Amino acid sequence: MKDAMSPVPIFTRYDLTIDARRGEAARRISEDPLLQRVADCLVRGDEEGTATMVAEALRSRDPREVIDQSLIPGMKEVGRLWEIGEYFLPQVILSSDAMVAGITLCEERMGRAMEKKAKVVTHTAEGDIHDIGQAIVNALLRASGFDVVNLGADVPVDEVVEACRVHKPVMVTGTALMTTTMTAFPKIAARLKQAGLQIPFVCGGGAVSEDFVTGFELGVWGKEASQAPGMAEDALNGLGWSEMRAKWNG
Amino acid sequence: MKLSDSMAYASADEMIFGSAKKPVTTRRGLVIGGGLVIPEVVPHPRPGSEKDLRTLLREFERATGDILERCVSVGHPSVVVENEHVFQMTDDPSWGMEIAAQTTHQIDDYIEKYGIKAAYRSTVADIRKPDMVDLRNSDRTRKVLEAFDACAKYADIVSIESLGGKEVFDYSIIRNDITGLLFSQAVLGSRDMAWLWPQIVAIARKRGAVPGGDTDCAQANTAMFMAAGYISKDVPHTLAALCRAIAVGRSLVAYECGALGPGKDCGYENPIIKAVTGLPMSMEGKSCACAHSSLCGNVMAAVCDLWSNEAVEYHHMFGGSSPAVFAEILGYDTAAMNSAISLGYEKQYQACLVTSDRYRSLQGFILCPDNAWAIGKAVVDNNESYYSRARAAAITCAELMLADSQVRFTSFEKDALMGFAKELDSLPATEADFIDLCLKKYGKVKGFQPAAYGL
Repeated sequence: MKDAMSPVPIFTRYDLTIDARRGEAARRISEDPLLQRVADCLVRGDEEGTATMVAEALRSRDPREVIDQSLIPGMKEVGRLWEIGEYFLPQVILSSDAMVAGITLCEERMGRAMEKKAKVVTHTAEGDIHDIGQAIVNALLRASGFDVVNLGADVPVDEVVEACRVHKPVMVTGTALMTTTMTAFPKIAARLKQAGLQIPFVCGGGAVSEDFVTGFELGVWGKEASQAPGMAEDALNGLGWSEMRAKWNG
Repeated sequence: MKLSDSMAYASADEMIFGSAKKPVTTRRGLVIGGGLVIPEVVPHPRPGSEKDLRTLLREFERATGDILERCVSVGHPSVVVENEHVFQMTDDPSWGMEIAAQTTHQIDDYIEKYGIKAAYRSTVADIRKPDMVDLRNSDRTRKVLEAFDACAKYADIVSIESLGGKEVFDYSIIRNDITGLLFSQAVLGSRDMAWLWPQIVAIARKRGAVPGGDTDCAQANTAMFMAAGYISKDVPHTLAALCRAIAVGRSLVAYECGALGPGKDCGYENPIIKAVTGLPMSMEGKSCACAHSSLCGNVMAAVCDLWSNEAVEYHHMFGGSSPAVFAEILGYDTAAMNSAISLGYEKQYQACLVTSDRYRSLQGFILCPDNAWAIGKAVVDNNESYYSRARAAAITCAELMLADSQVRFTSFEKDALMGFAKELDSLPATEADFIDLCLKKYGKVKGFQPAAYGL
């Protein structure tokens, strides 16, 4: 028998080709050394370090300054590094945790909650307990400044509709792993429409297909959890469900 | 409960597809692991068919009929039909029972009419989501056990994909937290299985079904699917490989409680489980691309006893319905393996399967028979506790990946692996100390209830 690793092309490791092109470092966030140290901790995903540095910064800086000049731009830099393939999801989540820790300290100092961009209601379909995709969506939306109304997993149709009626979100999301649970989505969309709530309803996860989601009004198919912040920005900027569908699907 | 302390196989060389040290015979006389590989076909109902019992029964009736008809049409000598419960089949155990009764009735008709050798596996859905209910005491827990009792009256084999530890796992996997993963899979998952599985085994014995096995689908497969292919950026493949090694300590618990195999198809840890237990295992690879992609399409067949498609939704294709098509595909896959056995070429055929994927991915690498055996050996040599054996499996897995000069990493994955290895080394020596550490660290994870694990 020939050597098992003879040069017959059995497979190609494209990940190694991609890897050779990586190596971009994080950009500088602030000229202020103290705020830069806050941002450095956040970009590294160091929650404890971020909290320590934010506490130190708050001795001499205004909390709004810490948020606007280190935490938010730091998180934007994390998003950029992810976009270009430098960062993996866990690095983004850890930075998101660090961001929440930093913001919490700033809010305590301000004596009030930081104003969020808008509300987004998220849920996992009734009968479906696979909600890791929703957890990722929640973390990414929070890191992008949205107020997430997290309804959790296995959420009945009525509960989703009621949450939308009460919270008036710019967008609602639905996650499902199983094809036999995603059938709740068109029911939710119909009920939202009935209630006069023309909210973009972004559905994704597991076996949820574009064909299925674009088969009912309000539905926008979410291919990846990472699309959620961009979609929420579109909804915030006034794009309706059909415009969002035209942009993100098809 | 005694934790496994020896290997069923003296070396990886002894392991081959189709044969297990301890074959299993079902109530319908099908021998699994007795020298031949058998296809296991898993149909999945279309969305909407779950709206009531009548439509769901009709959907499964159609799928099972198509599978059996195709097997007979193309001459497949044997088949296992599996139904993985959709939520409704366990949430109302009478649904699961009606479908089990109908499916086995169809199978019995084909056995009688054509003499095909066939069996039915019913896999109950674990609807006990740890952050939503008390795993040991909730309506959902009772429904899971009732569903086992209802389905075991008819099924040849019963199985589950249990969810213990899932709440801490989900928190940890998206944070690259190897300590949390070890805690969730090895400690929480194992403790839940040690509570659940004696009950499943007792029910199966009472009803004359084979208690098949469990799988770490909820955890190790989540890691593997997130790591995905070469262009994914969700989880490093090094971490997914470590999760797989850790999964062994957890999935073994079912067999230590009396499960007899065949292990569930989506348990990619099954080559290692087979090395330790000698029990037959179902596995899946290239022919389950209908359900999900993987980087170990061929190597998973190297030591399989059942060969599965994982799940295929019912649809019409040019070649017939999808369950019929996959019955044909799987049957030909197994016919090739059985031909190799018949010709005495099984080790050469196995070498082809292994070589295809050995260096394609780290998941495939650690599941090659030699590495699978080595990880299993680390498990049995460190059987002081669930924690110690799973930690040893992870450390051995890391060492195997780092020791083979032909294994290639991306820089991120290599850095990540070095970090994980260092963290694993630094963890406490005893399970009690590890649990103390983790209860402090993960006590605030949303929905984590230590008491549900007896902690």
